[in-house]
Amino acid sequence: MSEIFLSNEVLIYLLSESVIYVLILIAALLSLQLIIKWDFGSYSEIQFTLEKRAYLVMTIITFAFIVKIATLPYFAYGIDKLSDLVPGAMCASGVIGANEYGYPLLGLKIATVFISGTWIIINNLDLQSPNYPFFRIKTGLFLLIAILISIELFLDFTYFGNITTTKPVSCCSVTFGQQGGSNPLPFGLDTAKLLVLFYLFYFMTAISAIGRYAATGFVANILFLVTAYYAVVYFFGTYIYELPTHKCPFCMLQKEYYYVGYLVWASLFSGTFFGINSLPLKWFAKKDVLYTYKFSLFFNTLFVLLVSAYVLVYYLKNGVWL
Amino acid sequence: MANSTFLRFLLLLLYQYRSKHAGIAVISSLIVALLSAVLFISQSIQAETALQLKAQPDFVVQRIRAGKRIDVPVEWLEEIQEINGVSSVTPRVYGEYYFSPREEHFLLFGVDFFDEQSSKAIEKIVQETDLRKFLSKEQMIVGDGVKKFLQEHYYKGFYNFKNPDGEIIKVPVYSSFDKETNIISNDMIIMPMELLRSIFAMDEETLTDIAFNVPNEAEWDNVLTKLHLLHYDIRVITKEEITKSYHNLFNYKGGLFLALYLITIMTFILIIYQRYAMVAVGWSIKDVLKLKFFETSIIVLLSFINGVIIAYCYVYLFDAPLLSNLFLGSENLSNEVAFMPVVDFGLLGSIFLFFGIPFIAAVLIPVWKIAVTEPKEAMK
Repeated sequence: MSEIFLSNEVLIYLLSESVIYVLILIAALLSLQLIIKWDFGSYSEIQFTLEKRAYLVMTIITFAFIVKIATLPYFAYGIDKLSDLVPGAMCASGVIGANEYGYPLLGLKIATVFISGTWIIINNLDLQSPNYPFFRIKTGLFLLIAILISIELFLDFTYFGNITTTKPVSCCSVTFGQQGGSNPLPFGLDTAKLLVLFYLFYFMTAISAIGRYAATGFVANILFLVTAYYAVVYFFGTYIYELPTHKCPFCMLQKEYYYVGYLVWASLFSGTFFGINSLPLKWFAKKDVLYTYKFSLFFNTLFVLLVSAYVLVYYLKNGVWL
Repeated sequence: MANSTFLRFLLLLLYQYRSKHAGIAVISSLIVALLSAVLFISQSIQAETALQLKAQPDFVVQRIRAGKRIDVPVEWLEEIQEINGVSSVTPRVYGEYYFSPREEHFLLFGVDFFDEQSSKAIEKIVQETDLRKFLSKEQMIVGDGVKKFLQEHYYKGFYNFKNPDGEIIKVPVYSSFDKETNIISNDMIIMPMELLRSIFAMDEETLTDIAFNVPNEAEWDNVLTKLHLLHYDIRVITKEEITKSYHNLFNYKGGLFLALYLITIMTFILIIYQRYAMVAVGWSIKDVLKLKFFETSIIVLLSFINGVIIAYCYVYLFDAPLLSNLFLGSENLSNEVAFMPVVDFGLLGSIFLFFGIPFIAAVLIPVWKIAVTEPKEAMK
C-alpha cells in the first residue's frame, strides 16, 4: 500500500466517495426497477409502492450530489496538500500530473458535478409539477451519472494508488510555462487577442442572459469557459501571483494567495454551468427556467470583476503592467 | 407549509425525543472530540516541526564506510567552501551520551563559538551568551529537559561525564535555553568543541559532519552534483528530505489512527441505522422527509461543534494529556510541549466530512421508511 493512502485528506476523501458510491449504487438499482415498471396512469399497488420508492431514490440522489459538489473543492485541497510529499511538486499541478489517471479524473469530476447540477434542477422542476412530467428523463440522466461515478471511483483508487513518492514530477512552471518559445495558447492567439475574445464572450453571455436567448447563451458560455480558462492561466494568474512568469491554474488555491483560486474557479464554473444549462432545461421543461439566467449573469459578472480587479489593483499599486 | 410552522414542528420534534437525541448527540460529540483531538495534535506538531526545520541547515555532509557513518576529515571543510554559492559552512561535532542507570541519552553538541553557525537556533543561543564569561572555563548550556533531569538526580549545576578511558570530566552548567524550541532541543547540551572531543575521545582533525546553507534554491541540485563528484564515500542529507520524512511520519501516525477509527465510525453508524426508527407522523412524504432531514442535520451539526470545542480545550488548554504520547513518544527525556493552536478550515472540513457524511448517509433509508409509513399504521 502506498503511503499516499495514509494522508489524512486522501483517506477522508476516499471514505466520503465510497460512502456516497454505496448510496448511488442502491439508488441506481432502485431506479432500474422504477424505470422498467413505471406507469403513472395505473392505480395498482405496485405503482403506489414505486412512487414511494421514487421518493427514497430522489432523496438519496439529492444528498449524494450535494456531497459530490462539496467534495470537488476538497479534492483540490487534498491534492494540494500532497504536494509536500511528492518530490518536485510545488502545487496541485505536479500531483495531478503524477500519473496518467490524474487529468482524466479531474475532468471527469468536473463533468459529473456539471451533470449532477442539471439533475438537481430538473428534479426540482419535477417536484413542482403534480404528475412527474420529467420522471423518465431524470431517471435516465441519473443512470448515466451513476455510470460516470462508477468510473470516477475506479479512477480515484487507481490514481491515488499509483502516485509514487520517489519519482520526481514536473512542477507547474514546466507544465504551463513556455518551453522553447512555443506558444501555449490554442489557434496561435496572443495575449491581447485572447483578452479581446475573453471580454467579447463575456458580453455575449451577459446579453444572452439579459435577453434570455438560451441557444446563444449555450454557445457563448461554452466559448467563454474555454477562453476564461486560458485567460486565467496565462494572463490573470500572473497578476494574482504578481509574477509574469508564474502560470498555473492550481497555485492560486494555496494559502499564499488567500485561497482566492477557489472563488475564481467556483464563480466561473457556476456562471457557465447555469448559462450552458438554460438551453437543455428550456428544451426539457418547454419553458424558460428564469433563475438560470439570473445566476449565470451574476456568477459570470462576479468572476470577470474579480479577475479584472486583480489586474487593476496591481496597476494602481505599481504603476506598470506586467 | 408556512416556514414558522415547519420550524415549530422541528423544535417540537427535537424536544419530544430529547432523551433519545441527547444520547446520540453525546456519543457523537465524543467520537468527534477524539477524532479532532488527534488531528489537532498532529497538525500542531507538524506546524511546529516545520518552524524548527526552517532554522536547520540546508545540507549536511557525512562520510560513509561499510554503510555506517564515520567521522569526516577536516580537509573536506575547505573543499566544500570552494563550491560556488555555498555559505555558512559549519563543522559539527556531536554525539549521544548514554546515561546508563536511567537508560536515557543526551545529545551533546560541540560548537565553535567564534564561527558562523549554519543552524539558526544555535546562532541565536550563541548570540545570547556572554562569550567571555562562558569560555573562561569549560562549561555547557543545557536544554530544558536536561536541566530537569539533572535537578532530579541531585546534580547541582554540573554533571560528571565519563570518557571511554574511564576518566571523569566534571562540567558545570552555565545556563539553559528556553521552552520555545522544545521539540528538537529538549535533550540537547551545547559545549565547546574541544571539551566534547575529550568526552568522546575523538581525533583532533575530524568532525562528525559538515553543515552548510545554499541560499539560492535553484542551485541546490547543482551543489548536490558537485558534492558527489568530490568524494565517493559521501552522503548528503538535504533539508527537503528531512521535511519529507517528518511529514511522512506524522501522516503515518495520523493516518493509521484514522484508518482504525474508521471501524468505530462504521460501528456507530450501524447502531444509528438500526435505532433511528422513530414514530411516524403521517404527513405527506415530502414534508416528513424534509423535517427528518433537518432534524438529523441539527444533531450532526451540534455534535460536530460540541466535539470540536471539547477537542480544542483538551489539546490547547490542557496540552492533551495521554494522547500526546502517541505522537511524541515518551522513551527519552520527557517532552513537555505546549501545543500552539493551528486550526484551518481544511482540517475542520475534513473532520466534518469524516463524521457527517456517513452519519447522514446512514439515516437516509430509515428516515424514508418513516416517511412512507401509512398514517393508519402510524396511529396503531
